[in-house]
Amino acid sequence: MSYIQVEHLRKSYVVRKKREKGSLLREKSRIDALSDLSFEIGKGELVGYIGPNGAGKSTTVKILSGILTPDSGNVLVGGRVPWGSRKEYVRHIGVVFGQRMQLWWDVPILDSFSLLRDIYRISETAYQKRLAELTDALQLEDILRTPLRLLSLGQRMRAELCGSLLHRPELLFLDEPTIGLDSISKLALREFLRWENRENGTTILLTTHDMEDIHALCSRVMVLGHGQKLFDGDFSALLSRYDTVRTVLVRFEEETELPGIPSVSVSREGESLKLVYSPKELPTAELLERLRQTGTIREMTIQPQNIDHMIADMYEEMAL
Amino acid sequence: MDTIKLYIRSMGMLLKSQFQYPASFFMQTLAQLVMEGGEMLALILVIDRFGHLGRWEPGDLFFFFGIMSVTFYLTECFGRGITGAFPSMVRMGQLDTLLIRPRGIVTQVLCSAIDPRRITCIAVGTTALVIGSRLSAVRWTFAKAFLMAEAVSFGFLLILGLFMIEAIFCIHSVKSVELVNAVTYGGRSACQYPATIYPRPLRVLFTAFAPFALVLQVPAGYILDKPLFDWPAWTAFLCPLSGAVLFGVIYMLFQRAMHFYRSTGS
Repeated sequence: MSYIQVEHLRKSYVVRKKREKGSLLREKSRIDALSDLSFEIGKGELVGYIGPNGAGKSTTVKILSGILTPDSGNVLVGGRVPWGSRKEYVRHIGVVFGQRMQLWWDVPILDSFSLLRDIYRISETAYQKRLAELTDALQLEDILRTPLRLLSLGQRMRAELCGSLLHRPELLFLDEPTIGLDSISKLALREFLRWENRENGTTILLTTHDMEDIHALCSRVMVLGHGQKLFDGDFSALLSRYDTVRTVLVRFEEETELPGIPSVSVSREGESLKLVYSPKELPTAELLERLRQTGTIREMTIQPQNIDHMIADMYEEMAL
Repeated sequence: MDTIKLYIRSMGMLLKSQFQYPASFFMQTLAQLVMEGGEMLALILVIDRFGHLGRWEPGDLFFFFGIMSVTFYLTECFGRGITGAFPSMVRMGQLDTLLIRPRGIVTQVLCSAIDPRRITCIAVGTTALVIGSRLSAVRWTFAKAFLMAEAVSFGFLLILGLFMIEAIFCIHSVKSVELVNAVTYGGRSACQYPATIYPRPLRVLFTAFAPFALVLQVPAGYILDKPLFDWPAWTAFLCPLSGAVLFGVIYMLFQRAMHFYRSTGS
C-alpha cells in the first residue's frame, strides 16, 4: 500500500461575482479547482508537482495538509485522513510556503525554534539532536542568534526549512521553495532536500515553477491542469516528448550569406547566425555538413530546447 | 498546563520582539496614557459639573470606571491575538500556518500577540479604582476581594468572547465589523458608567446580550454596598458566570466557523 493515496478527489469553490446592474442577486459561479484527481506516492519518494497557475496545485497541497476538506474523494496519508483529526495528523507533516513566513519576525531564529519545540511537544534530547543535525546540514550556525528580519531571503528560507523539519515529519510539502533565491542558495537548498530525503527517508512533494528544481531533484513528476492529472511519470520521458527543436549559434570567419535550407529558421544575433531546426526533420550531422560547406566556422554552439519552453509547449498542447 | 506554559513562553518571546523597537514602544505607551487619561478626565468633568449621577456618588463612578478600564485593557493586552491580530491573520493567510500545527486555533491565536502598551491604560484604571474605593470608603473583606478577582477574570472572558464575534465574521469573509465594534468598544465606553443611568433598551443590551452589567457592575455594586439592581446579595457572585456562558457559546460558534473555513478555503 502506498504512503499517500488520493482517489477521485474533487473540490470546487463558489466565486461570487460583482452584482450586475439591474439584477438583484449576485451571480455565483462554481470553479472546479480539482476534478477527479487520483494518484499514489510511495514512502521516501521525491515527487515534483507542476502545472500552470490556477491548476489546483495549492488546493491539493492544502487538502493533503489538512487545511481544506474536499467535496468528495478519499485521501489517506500514512493510514490517516488529513482532514480527520487535524491536531493528530499535522504532527506527521511539515509544510513550507515559499512566500509565507512561519517563523517569528523580530526574534532570533533559535528562539523561534525553541517555541516550535514547545508547540510540537518535542522532547529536549530529540530537539537538541535534530537541531544540531539540521543546523549542520543547512549551515545555520552563524545566524542562529540573528532575528529573522535581518536575514537575507536565502538564509530565511533555510531557517524556515529547519523550522518545519524539527519535529521530523514523515512528509514534507514545499510550495515554491526557491522563488526569488540566487543561484548559490538554490543549489544549496536542492542539495539539502536531497540529503533530507536520503538520510531521513522523508517523502517530499515539491510544487514549483522552476523546472531546474524538478530537473535536479525529482525523477518523477506530476503535471496538473484544470484540476486533472495530465501526466505522471519520469521527468525526462516528459521532456523528450517536447524536446523537439535545437538552436545552433554559428559564427563564420568572414561575413557569409547562408543558402536557404528547408525547415530551418535563420536569424541574425550580433555577429552570429541563429538557426533553429528540428533534428527529426533535418539530422544534425546533415546541418553541420551544410554549414561547413558554406564557409570557415570560427565558433559554434548547439543548445537543446530550454526547459521552460518545453513546458510552455506542453501546457499549450494540453490546452491549459 | 502545557498550554499555559506555551502561552507564557510565547508572551515572553513576543515581549522580547516588542522591545526591539524601544523608542516606538515608549511613544505608543505614552499615547495610550494620554488616550485613557483623557477618558478619565471626561469622567472628572462630569463629576465636577453634576456631583453625582442619580444615586451614584463620585467615588462610585470612579469605581465603575476603574473596573471597566482595568478589565478591558487587561483583555486588550493579553488577548491581543483575538482583539486585534486575528482579522489580518485571516486576510493574509496566516491562519493556514496555524492550521498545520498540532495545537488549538484559539490557543495559537492568543499566543500570537500581546500588547504591553496597554499597561498605562491599566494603570489609569487601577488609579480610578483606588480613588473610587477611598472616596466611597469601601470596607474591603475577603469576599469582596474574591468577587473583584472573579469579576475581572470573567470580564476578560466576556470581552474576549465579544471580540471573537468579529473573528467569526472574518472567517466568513465579511469585512464590515462596525456592528461588532458597537458592542466591544461601544460597550466599554457606555459601561464605564453604571448601566442604571441608561434608558431601558441599552440596559437590556448590556445585561442580556453583552452582559457587562452582570459581569462587572453587579459585583461592583456589591463591593460598594449599593446593589446595582434590587437583587439578593448572593447574585453578585453568580452574575459574572454569564461572561463564561457567553464565551462558551461564541467559542462553539467559532469552532463551527473554522469548520466552514476548512470546507470552503481562502
